[in-house]
Amino acid sequence: MVFNSYTFIAFFIIILILHNLPFSWKVKKINLLLASYVFYAAWNPPFILLLWLSTVVDYFVGKALYTQTNKHKKRGLLVISLIGNLGMLCFFKYGSFLLDNFVHLVQLLGFHYQPAKPNIILPAGISFYTFTTLCYTIDMYKKESRPVRSLLDFSLFVTFFPHLVAGPIVRPPQLVPQFETPRTASRKQLMEGLFLLSVGLFMKVVLADGMLADPADAVFNSKDVLPGLDAWAGSLAFAGQIFFDFAGYSTCAIGVALCLGFVLPQNFRFPYAATSLSDFWRRWHITLSSWLRDYLYIPLGGNRQGRWRTYLNLMITMLLGGLWHGANWTFVAWGGLHGLYLWVEKFFRDRKEKASPMPVTTTALVLPAYGRKTGVFVSGTTGELIEEPVPHAALKVMPQQGIFNTRLKGLPYALLVFFLVNITWVFFRAGTFAQAGHLLTSMFGFSHGAHPLLKTLPMVKVGVVVVLLLMTQWLLRNTKLTDVAYRLPWWLTGLIWSLMVILLILSQESSGSFIYFQF
Amino acid sequence: MPEKTLSRAAMLMALLVLAVIGSWELYLRWTGLPLDYDDGKELWSDKRAKVYDDPGKTTVFIGSSRIKFDLDIDTWKKMTGREAVQLSIVGSTPMPILRDLGNDTNFRGKLVVDVTEPLFFNNDSAEVQKPDLYVAYYKHRTPAQRASFELNHLLESRLLFLDQESFSLNAELDKKVKLPNRPGVFVFPDFPDDFGRTTFQRQSYMTDKFVADTTLQHQVQNIWLFLMHSGGHDAAPKEDPVPIVLRSVQNAVNKIRARGGEVVFTRTPSSGPFRAGEEHVFPRAAMWDPLLAMTHSTGFYFADNPATAHFTCPEWSHLSPSDATLYTKALINELPPSFVTSK
Repeated sequence: MVFNSYTFIAFFIIILILHNLPFSWKVKKINLLLASYVFYAAWNPPFILLLWLSTVVDYFVGKALYTQTNKHKKRGLLVISLIGNLGMLCFFKYGSFLLDNFVHLVQLLGFHYQPAKPNIILPAGISFYTFTTLCYTIDMYKKESRPVRSLLDFSLFVTFFPHLVAGPIVRPPQLVPQFETPRTASRKQLMEGLFLLSVGLFMKVVLADGMLADPADAVFNSKDVLPGLDAWAGSLAFAGQIFFDFAGYSTCAIGVALCLGFVLPQNFRFPYAATSLSDFWRRWHITLSSWLRDYLYIPLGGNRQGRWRTYLNLMITMLLGGLWHGANWTFVAWGGLHGLYLWVEKFFRDRKEKASPMPVTTTALVLPAYGRKTGVFVSGTTGELIEEPVPHAALKVMPQQGIFNTRLKGLPYALLVFFLVNITWVFFRAGTFAQAGHLLTSMFGFSHGAHPLLKTLPMVKVGVVVVLLLMTQWLLRNTKLTDVAYRLPWWLTGLIWSLMVILLILSQESSGSFIYFQF
Repeated sequence: MPEKTLSRAAMLMALLVLAVIGSWELYLRWTGLPLDYDDGKELWSDKRAKVYDDPGKTTVFIGSSRIKFDLDIDTWKKMTGREAVQLSIVGSTPMPILRDLGNDTNFRGKLVVDVTEPLFFNNDSAEVQKPDLYVAYYKHRTPAQRASFELNHLLESRLLFLDQESFSLNAELDKKVKLPNRPGVFVFPDFPDDFGRTTFQRQSYMTDKFVADTTLQHQVQNIWLFLMHSGGHDAAPKEDPVPIVLRSVQNAVNKIRARGGEVVFTRTPSSGPFRAGEEHVFPRAAMWDPLLAMTHSTGFYFADNPATAHFTCPEWSHLSPSDATLYTKALINELPPSFVTSK
């Protein structure tokens, strides 16, 4: 089920009513759990079995990991969990990819081997819920949090429908405490939730699907050499589309959860206003980058084992982060390019730090900046967000000013970062390296005699939406959407909200899947 | 933060949304335009699922746009007592649908295949893309998508503004914002809204305004001329597509017949320069006759019947609603009894 569908609207109304009826807390949790299974099964019912398997295995293994004192047995249990989770992910997501690469390798060695093509369907959200359950068992192994008391709470933690299919990727301390005490949304939470749901749907339906998807598809699917203008319009359209699509999903998810009284962590903080690549990763898909930091980068040694090892750990993390997005070498290249950017940034930052006794503020690397786990956690009693400590570096660039960031300092860096990120999206969106090369060639002016592809109106749409996107991101880079909604006069918030909902209704885009469903 | 801020804003939002959307709906009703259904993959899939209904009471139609305009489903139902499942797709070849039905071992029904030669004998990706997409969507549609379709049907049957092709944000922008394009950009001309409205049974029809307005008719005629002169967007095929298509049809038809299904072919009317162009490029002796011979089929070619030979299409390619009724009656007389009698 997708948020931008009539089915979801009907489903959500029913769930809201059920959740506010005077049932016991346990009954309400069972309702939510069953609703989450319906939400998932509405896509492809048989895959619910995988979800059950993952839930049950990790619940019991997690409990055993926490109580087990024998080191060897403990390691054995962790291996069972890792094999179970990663094995499932590898089979469904990377099975065909691994086989293809194996065949290529064998053929390179001179052997003729052509196996039947496996017909594997990727279960929706498998990458997301696998990471959710994995972090639980790893935390249990390290005793970094306590085991979830009941299978019901654990199942709901894994399956809770707002985050199930495309995140935000939640950690047990962020969500489990919220299941321990009865909760329904306060009026304030309900209003904020509905507001965020409207914003998220507007981003997905009107902007991603309605304005940007067609030009992006036209350019990336074109087999012809394109003029630079078309190629840039297509790549910028995709940069906007992927943001509005994924941030739109996360905003919907946070809004939906809030309407039920639950708080999910922020997943995006105006990433295209980032003034460095490390800043970008503090703002883009925050729950994934913090997951990779805590469960991959730091266990690899982080920045504690010398400069060269830090570079290596950084690259491994980014490459695997790229592979997480899809079983294709183009995603690995996307991650690798980001790794390369972070290398360059770190190199200059280190040089600057050496030359200056003052701490450098704008190019601190997100991954090495953290030596411990952080994140957005939730108070079990108040439901308020307890924000992760903002890194010292980020605080320095946060001006003490009004809600809108009107300073121009850092803007050239933000535009440079956007430009660099835009280049990486070409690898992310292109199906093959040839296609990516083709488009990059066109973007950088090596396309003599190319026929123009896009009509003027779609190009105007791309231009207007992308410029407005960058302006909005820059103005709001130090704040949150709900803060803006509160700080504006109520009638202005109401007008903006109306405009979004009217355009949402009028756009009539069909209920297309979110891009991140395939990851 | 003042809690009432968002509550007040929400109330204002609800009022404004109701006012704007309500006014828009009332305005569209005032213009007198009839209700229109989005003729997309969702509606097509809903009809595709009906091909398994009792073959004694159901006839399936595939083709391009002509049979969608020319078969009047109400007349068909009234005269035959049978359901007409309309699976034709505008601007495309029915070959992917025919192949799909041929490979579907559960399909044993009565199938009418309408032939519009420029599209039927064409393997271009552009002509195949849409039916391929629809067939794939039908095969993989999820329970949630089916439920959304039913809910959408409830709303679409009541609200005129829910018409993606005519009144969506992008459709309105396309109609109202006319910007000059760069030289060399391929621009497909716009069809007037009144040319093709769609019923829930997927029948297309021209509005009364279109039938009466020769300017609108000329607009569509110019589109046909544009297509005839542009010769499609794809590169010329490496191999003559006609034998490939004929073999593919033969294969699918044999599979359907082997399971007890029946297949016949029709050739719906065209007129004016369109007809002349079709006869020149796709002569009957080289296309239609071999098709019937290779598949050992009966067929109804409109020009063979005095009741249908004289039809003039307002825009050269599709019948007006009143002629569609007459054509449907003639078609019922021409088709084999098993296709038109209810058991």
